[in-house]
Parts: sequence; C-alpha cells; structure tokens
Amino acid sequence: MSSVPNDSPIADGSREAARVIVWDPFIRLFHWLLVAAVAMAITTSLILPITWLGWHLAAGIATLALVAARIVWGLLGPTFARFSSFVTTPGDLLHHLRELHHGVARRHRGHNPLGGAMILALIAVVVAIGASGTIALGGALKIGPLAFAVDYTSGRTAWSVHQWLVYGLLGLIAIHIAGAIYESRRTRENLVRAMIDGRKEARRADITAPPHGSSPGLATVIVAILIVGIVPAVIVMMRWPAAGVPEHPLDKVYVQECGACHVAYHPTLLPAATWAAIMDGLAQHFGENAELDPAKAQAIRTYLLANAAEHYDTLPAHAFLQPNPADPLRMTATTFWARRHASLSPQVFSSKPVGSKGQCDACHQDAASGRFSPLAIAVPEETPP
Amino acid sequence: MSPMNPSLSLALSAIAVSLLSTFGAIAAVGSGQQAVIDHYVAAAKASDPAFKGFSADRGKAFFLAKHTANPDTPSCSTCHTTDPKQMGQTRVGKPIDPMAVSVSPQRFTDLDKVELWFRRNCNTVLGRECTALEKGDYVTFLANQ
Repeated sequence: MSSVPNDSPIADGSREAARVIVWDPFIRLFHWLLVAAVAMAITTSLILPITWLGWHLAAGIATLALVAARIVWGLLGPTFARFSSFVTTPGDLLHHLRELHHGVARRHRGHNPLGGAMILALIAVVVAIGASGTIALGGALKIGPLAFAVDYTSGRTAWSVHQWLVYGLLGLIAIHIAGAIYESRRTRENLVRAMIDGRKEARRADITAPPHGSSPGLATVIVAILIVGIVPAVIVMMRWPAAGVPEHPLDKVYVQECGACHVAYHPTLLPAATWAAIMDGLAQHFGENAELDPAKAQAIRTYLLANAAEHYDTLPAHAFLQPNPADPLRMTATTFWARRHASLSPQVFSSKPVGSKGQCDACHQDAASGRFSPLAIAVPEETPP
Repeated sequence: MSPMNPSLSLALSAIAVSLLSTFGAIAAVGSGQQAVIDHYVAAAKASDPAFKGFSADRGKAFFLAKHTANPDTPSCSTCHTTDPKQMGQTRVGKPIDPMAVSVSPQRFTDLDKVELWFRRNCNTVLGRECTALEKGDYVTFLANQ
C-alpha cells in the first residue's frame, strides 16, 4: 500500500508512511455494533416472521442508543470523530466531486466531504426509521411509548414510511460500501482495516482537520443524563392506557356460554353486523345447534354488539372488518387471517396442543384481551407421546 | 313361628339379593344425578304409561350409535370419544371433560345445564330433540360409568 507515485495528489513523500490513529476506539466499536444492530433489525423483520418482533425492537433500540452516543461523540470526541471535521457545505461537496472527476482530489485523513455527507445521511435516516417505527408500533400494534397517542391509521402510515426508509437505508449502505471500496482503491489504503485497527497512513499531502482533544468524561455524563431522562419517561409513557384498546375482561356469561365449545372470541374481533348474524343463527352455528337460554342470548348479543370491532382501534379490530363473502361469519376465512398464518404448516393447526384454526389462544397468549400482540405469540410444540 | 318352606325361603333370598343389588346400583349414583334421573323418570312415565325404567345398556348403545342427520357429528362419541372416561374434544379442538360421572362427579347434577346440552346436541347429532327415555338411559349409563 505504499507504492503511491510522488506526483500523485494522494501521495506521501516518504517510502513507508507511519500509520496513525484516526478512528478512536469508540468510533470503531460504534461502527461495528451499528452494523450488527442494523443487520439484526433487518433480519428480524424483512426475513424472519413477525414473532421475532421482540428481537427487532431490541435491535432498533440498540441502534438508536448507538446513534445517540455517536451524536454526543460528534460534538465531544477527538479530531476525526467531530462533525466539525467532516460536515461541509454543498459547495465543498461539488468541489470535491469535480476534483475526483479530474483525478486531482487530495486524500482526506478523516472523512472526505462525500464520506461526511454519508455519515450525516445515515444518522438522519436511522433516526427517522426509529421515530417512524415507534409511531407505527404505538398506532398499529398499541405497544411502546406512543401507544397512548397514535391511532391505528396513523400507525399504518408510519409503518409504510418506516419500511420505505429502510429500503432507503439499504441503498445508502450499498453506496457507503461502494464508496469505501472506491476510496480504498483510489488511495491505495484498506479503509475497512482502518475501521478495525483505527489507523491510517499519515501522508504528507493529506487534508486533515484542526486537532481536537476529546472529552470522554463530559460525553459519559451527557449520555448518562440522556439515559436517566429518557428511560423513565419511556417507562411512564408505556404505562399510559393505549388508545382504543379494550380494557375490560370478557363478560362472564359470554365466556361461560360461548367459551364452553370454543375460544370466547374477543368481541372486538368482528363487526357488529357479523355478531348479529351469528346470534341470529345459533340454531345452525357452524354446523351445530348452539341455541341459548333466551335471556342469556339477549345479554350476550347486547354485550357483543356494544364491544364490536367498530368501537376499538386495535389491529384485529380493523383487520377483520372485511368478511369473506363466501363464508362471512368465519374469521379464519378472511384473507387477512390467511395471510397472517401463511408461514405456518397445516400440521400446526391439527396438532394436539392447537386442535384447529379456531383455537386462537393456543398460540396467542393474549387472545382473551383482544390485543393479539406479536410479542405474545408462542406456537406450542407437539410433545411426543 | 313355623319354619319357612325352603323353596319360599330361596325365592325370598333371591328377591332380597336382587333388591340389594338394585339398591347398590342406585347407591352408586350420586344424589345430584339421581334427581336428574328422577326428572326423566317422571317425564318418561308421562309420555309412556308402560315405562319400566331406564337401562344403562340402552344408554350405552345410544351413546355409541351412528346417526345420519349431520355427517360432521354422526354420534355422541364423535366429540366425547367412545370411552366416556376419556377427555373429549369439540370440533374446534377445545377439550371436553369426561362424561363418566366417576371421573367428572359434577356431570348431570344441574338439570338446566343437562337440558340445554341435550337440546343442542340432540338437534345437532339426531336433527331432533331426544325423548325422555333416551335422555334417562343416557344419564343412567354415564352415571354408572
């Protein structure tokens, strides 16, 4: 890597340039932990089923925490960690591009203007992904610090934004890797290695930045204040009642009568019209006579209609609003149900611990609450006899 | 008192033994179940003056019989299994406690509940209500299981 001609703008006069610390230990640790956290967040959402949501959230929280620490370090870290060393104007960026085009761009010891712009873009997109994810989580799944505030429709919109931002992030990552490879070849120095051991060659023609000492003590205090401020606030917000989520336990008569043969399906799972049709047809209830004592039937009907899907804002309350015209009373006949359970083999439903598609609570541990959180899914294993 | 004619004595003993065994069988049925059976005795007598009593054997045959009204549920044993001491399962897959009173002592002690389930399940399996004789035989069979 030291065979750079002396007339090159990236050149070093000496034959063997000293390798000096450019990336401090925090920057390196941050970089590779961020790679791991983002990889985990993407794997647990784009590749693995939604039952991995818990790991996805852990990865997302880790990503945001890392970026927050990086921002603090960008203000208080050593020379090349500082935003001031690599944040440039659009004019500087164009100038750098023009120099690259003409092959006269000098080597930057820290981030070059394009690299610096990439760092800012990555930080901005990651923060936006975290924010939109938190809004989506609160609105669509009624989980997390914003569950009290965000309605389902806004949550779904945030979910789409979250997904598109992730595709944007994947694009930025591709460009970032391509840029690192390009710059490694152009300057004949392995930049991946530099991000591992922190060292880059100190060449005479390098553009450097004004040296800055770091303030690790102050940075630690600020990060600690952020943790002490944010974590309890998030915990308090998570305790606030979620918007449009049923709070009351299931009606006792309903559970006793309807739960005798099947799961006492939460009233929020079906619209009022469907409940009315079910209560009108108990003499032919999915092939069985399920007639009730008239007083109990009336009480149950009143309960179901008063708590039907229209009155709540959970994901299931929205998802089952469109019945399958061919089989309008059956939740498992809806396209929503089929899509959400497509990754499961049919044997799961016939297995002894599950029994049938109608046994929601075999896997959804919060079925009785009507929430059906992805965090509460546990598909039981069939125990060998 | 003159000594008893031996053949009369034998006949009396036989009656006593059969009475005792009948009592034994009745004693094995809990009071809750007996009240339900008594209700069906009265109903069976009302509909058929020649009613002679319920039969656990007829009840067993009824429990296992295959009917044609509903291909999904041809028999009581479709959900309750052919062994009433075993757990059953609804068509949705929810477990049903065994029907045999020896395993589920609370069975057939609440007449309203018994009537509700006969109405539902007879209509489902047979396509009609069950008669008092069928119900009484059924409860007698399972109360002695």
